[in-house]
Amino acid sequence: MNARPSSRSRISQTPMKTEADKQQTLRFAYHAPAGCYDELHAADGSIRPHWQLFTEALHHVPEVDFIHRTAQAEQLLSENGVTFNVFGDATQSQRPWRLDLVPFILPADEWRYLEFGLSQRARLLQAIIRDAYSTQGFIKAGLLPAEVLFAHPGYDRTFQGMHRSDAPSMVSYAAELARAPNGRWCVMADRAEAPAGAAFALENRIVASRTLPPQMHRQQVQRLAQFFQRLQNTLKRLGVRQIENPRIVLLSPGPKFPYYFEDVYLARYLGYTLVEGGDLAVRDDRVFLKTLAGLAPVDVILSRGTEGEIDPLELGGGAPHGVPGLMHAIRKGHVTVANTPGCGLIESPVFMAFLPSLCQQCLGEELAIPSIATWWCGQAAQLNYVEAHLQDLVIKPAFQASGGVEFIGANLSATERRDLWTRIRNRPYEYVAQETIARSAIPVWKNDRVSCGHAAVRTFLVADTDGYALMPGGLVRVAATTDPMELSIGAGEGSKDLWVLTDAPVEPISLLGAADQPVALRRTAATFPSRVADDLFWLGQSLDRADFLSRLLRAVFERLTSETELDWPELPTLLRSLADQGQLEPGFTLSEFQSALPTISDALPGAVADRNEVHGISFAVAELLRLASLVRLWISPDTWRKVHDTAETFQSAANSSWTGLVDVLSSLNQLILDLAAVSGLIHDGMIRGPAWRLLDIGRRIERARDVAKLVRCMLADGVIPQKPVLKSLLEVVDCRMTYRSRYLENVQQNAVLDLCLTDETNPRSVVSQLVQLVDHVEALPQDFMTPLRTEEQRLVLAALHGIRQLTQEQLTDPEPRIVNSVLEILDEQLRILADVLTRKYLLHSGTPRQINTEMELS
Amino acid sequence: MQYRVTHTTTYTSSEVISVGHNEAWLRPREMPSQICPLYELRIEPEPSIRSTRYDYFGNTVSQFSFNQGYRELKVTSVSEVTLREKSITKESCSPAWEPIASLLRDRATAESLNAYEFVFNSPRVRRSETLQAYALQSFTSKRPIIAALADLLQRFKQDFKFDSTSTNVWTPLEVAFKQRRGVCQDFAHMMIGMLRSIGLAARYNSGYIRTYPPEGKPRLVGADASHAWVSVFCGELGWVDVDPTNNSIPNLEHITVAWGRDYTDVVPIKGVVIGGGHTTMHVGVDVAPLNEEEPTAEGVA
Repeated sequence: MNARPSSRSRISQTPMKTEADKQQTLRFAYHAPAGCYDELHAADGSIRPHWQLFTEALHHVPEVDFIHRTAQAEQLLSENGVTFNVFGDATQSQRPWRLDLVPFILPADEWRYLEFGLSQRARLLQAIIRDAYSTQGFIKAGLLPAEVLFAHPGYDRTFQGMHRSDAPSMVSYAAELARAPNGRWCVMADRAEAPAGAAFALENRIVASRTLPPQMHRQQVQRLAQFFQRLQNTLKRLGVRQIENPRIVLLSPGPKFPYYFEDVYLARYLGYTLVEGGDLAVRDDRVFLKTLAGLAPVDVILSRGTEGEIDPLELGGGAPHGVPGLMHAIRKGHVTVANTPGCGLIESPVFMAFLPSLCQQCLGEELAIPSIATWWCGQAAQLNYVEAHLQDLVIKPAFQASGGVEFIGANLSATERRDLWTRIRNRPYEYVAQETIARSAIPVWKNDRVSCGHAAVRTFLVADTDGYALMPGGLVRVAATTDPMELSIGAGEGSKDLWVLTDAPVEPISLLGAADQPVALRRTAATFPSRVADDLFWLGQSLDRADFLSRLLRAVFERLTSETELDWPELPTLLRSLADQGQLEPGFTLSEFQSALPTISDALPGAVADRNEVHGISFAVAELLRLASLVRLWISPDTWRKVHDTAETFQSAANSSWTGLVDVLSSLNQLILDLAAVSGLIHDGMIRGPAWRLLDIGRRIERARDVAKLVRCMLADGVIPQKPVLKSLLEVVDCRMTYRSRYLENVQQNAVLDLCLTDETNPRSVVSQLVQLVDHVEALPQDFMTPLRTEEQRLVLAALHGIRQLTQEQLTDPEPRIVNSVLEILDEQLRILADVLTRKYLLHSGTPRQINTEMELS
Repeated sequence: MQYRVTHTTTYTSSEVISVGHNEAWLRPREMPSQICPLYELRIEPEPSIRSTRYDYFGNTVSQFSFNQGYRELKVTSVSEVTLREKSITKESCSPAWEPIASLLRDRATAESLNAYEFVFNSPRVRRSETLQAYALQSFTSKRPIIAALADLLQRFKQDFKFDSTSTNVWTPLEVAFKQRRGVCQDFAHMMIGMLRSIGLAARYNSGYIRTYPPEGKPRLVGADASHAWVSVFCGELGWVDVDPTNNSIPNLEHITVAWGRDYTDVVPIKGVVIGGGHTTMHVGVDVAPLNEEEPTAEGVA
């Protein structure tokens, strides 16, 4: 982790500039090529009015200043990447393009026209989706060819009947635009499954406005916040319970998917809980968020993953955003998913060929903004046209969302063209042809000068009370040439902010909360998902597991590395404990121990370093790191950093530099200190809320079981353990000093067992763990009040009483059967406790899997 | 002809299933040639919630979920079904098959528009030139469609061998076609693929078939199985059933539960569970003829 200087300090670090430097303004090398629309200049060569103020300012900005500000913007973006790319690899940027601070500017009247046209299109597309998943009236009336649905692999009949007429199906919609050489806007692609890009547009705006030179944004630019406010309002209205604060969650396909950044960014900005499929549960056809406090009802789901995988029961698939039973909950009207599953249908380009006539028939209006000219090969006349003009067209699969496979006619060899044509002839209805378009020219900042690029504009719409509202802005991506550009949001080499000017004064709105307003004081976080609690629980276990094993191993390595290795009568017992814990092959601890010793010295370092041994210390350290990275948002940055460094240090030593037993010993010593530092950070810094409790429960259960197991192992011979064995027990449990201060060198079984098991003043004794566990379990949230103890309370109380019932005689007994059996029962009780807690509070037991009938067929 | 069908599916898990969601396509359809006056779906243990809906194809889907843990799930559907004799068109009197394919292509009637859906690829059935070539040997020029179907069934019977060990529920159609072996599901998928490859509409029927015990032996209760066969759109004749497994045109011995484009649309029971460890499944089907003197092992009245 390298600390970065804040933007303030960077400004002060700007090198002193000479007067001449300051004079040097931006170099201008903008020339729009012929054959495309020039966004900046009118036909007579003059600057278009809506660009005038900005270009004027551009001519006054010192070059060094602009370069510096561009670097600042990149810096802010990269910090965002680190902040929001929570679980991913910190070095990997999820942002596909650079940010160009020079905006794309559009005048207010042009935007009003786009808003009208795109809203109309959104209404039309929604009507098509609803019809397709209800009566199929458009097909019956001949307005759409039947193949468009029947041969469409994305026409998922499971979505039949899910689109209600009283609520928007398509809550959000994105249109991919290009401006044709004649100056008309045209829609290149429609996005309605889970339109991506709005959060990138917002991020571009926030970063650009923080870094642009002040003289450059003196204009009235419309704010984006109102768009997101509309989205919030719409989603709120969709809540079935019609309560003041419906619970809205953002369902994400998770960190492994591209643009996870957007999910995190949007969830934060909109104030919604970010969830994956495993965080939601369907019970009695209602959807709940699994929280530590139990199941919390969910009213609205803003879904960001593919619609064909949202319910593994009805749709199959194993996507991270799948929730078994969700489809039925939607059908019952108990939850609203936005967009309603099925909207993705209209992303395929085949519909574009029919929009003009459908708009007439269905809305009684002229289609205001045309699509890119599209021919569907399933009709003879259109097929003939395509055959004659293949050279000038782009061929695409009719039923796949635009942006996938495509064949550019002009680039095909004669053979390729013939092959393609054969395929089209065989299944003409599976193809469309589209014309190519030279995108309009815009000024871009590239290679330290203002030059010319070509713009792809993604615009975003949200369903409003009456129709749709268009985001006053958008995501602009820039290509260097006028060649066809990929239609995914990742395409293009640069991205920029889109300014929509306004004639009216801009109202300040922001979702980030009004400044200087006192907030209601709280002691708890809003919702604490069970998945996080589960990770914390296991984090606690790994932490104490690593600590315990490193102490036990240290005791062994200290003896193996001493000069008089044969004089350690407790060594066989310690090795047996290691085997008992699963760290060592049991074979090493059997008879002929003396002769086996050299083999043990050879084998142990490898066993310690083996990360695949699930009971070994290396596995515990790897788990510690993995789990800590998953809960980074819930522990302090320092704790995370310390865990990271601890694991890194131990693992890199284990991987490379251990050449002998002494090296292992020194790594173990370092690990013990490092783990103590982690414990200290958690103990001192972590808020005593549910997160801390879960983590501590994990630690306490692990510690109590490990110590109990160690004691049982040492008593296992059925005879009074020798004094050296008792001493080594004190050493591993880390209470040698306490013992000496109380009893000097008089090592007695009863006193040793008391200190390790029953002494409530010793924080490492078994009883102390149980006392803490009782407290934690009492404090866990309960679904309902019951006069009797819960199962987990009974278990932990029984374990505590078992230990407290031990008598002086039983601790002294030369054949400590009672102690042994109490510890055995305790181990089982704590194992069940972990199960019960997991079932009740944590993951609600595991990942879903499909069981389908394997028919016995005749 | 009346039957009582009992279809029991038992899932046994090595560990407790904490949450389970299920869907079942088990209720026999109502249609002119088949009525189902009595139907019951018994589920043990009692689910937390259950309901029914109709799917896209008009089949009844039962949905049930469990919040409480269970290790064994037993789903029993019991239905009494009456089949009415269908008038069988003489092979030679049936219309030629090509005009039916054009009727579909042109969607000239409401029926042909509805049937057109079953001409295209579906999740488990893809049309191919191989399947087309196989079908065209029977579907010769201007041949009456029923005659062509009868010939196709006859050839199919000769070329394909029933072998319950050769495929499983996920074997692709192409594999089964190549090895010329399979079970009723594979046979239905293959025949659907053949018919669709020549432009006809074919759908997948899931249901039960009456079986006969060997000569002189009593009928064994529960030894029957689920069955699958095909319906073909035959223009004015409507949909005609063909059973590639038994080389027959079903009439009074096939009980239709549900239809769809292929198996994926009408899986008898689907489930998603959390927990459960290893799960095994047992299916028992019994198709008992009613009002007919017949000795059975348990002496069904």
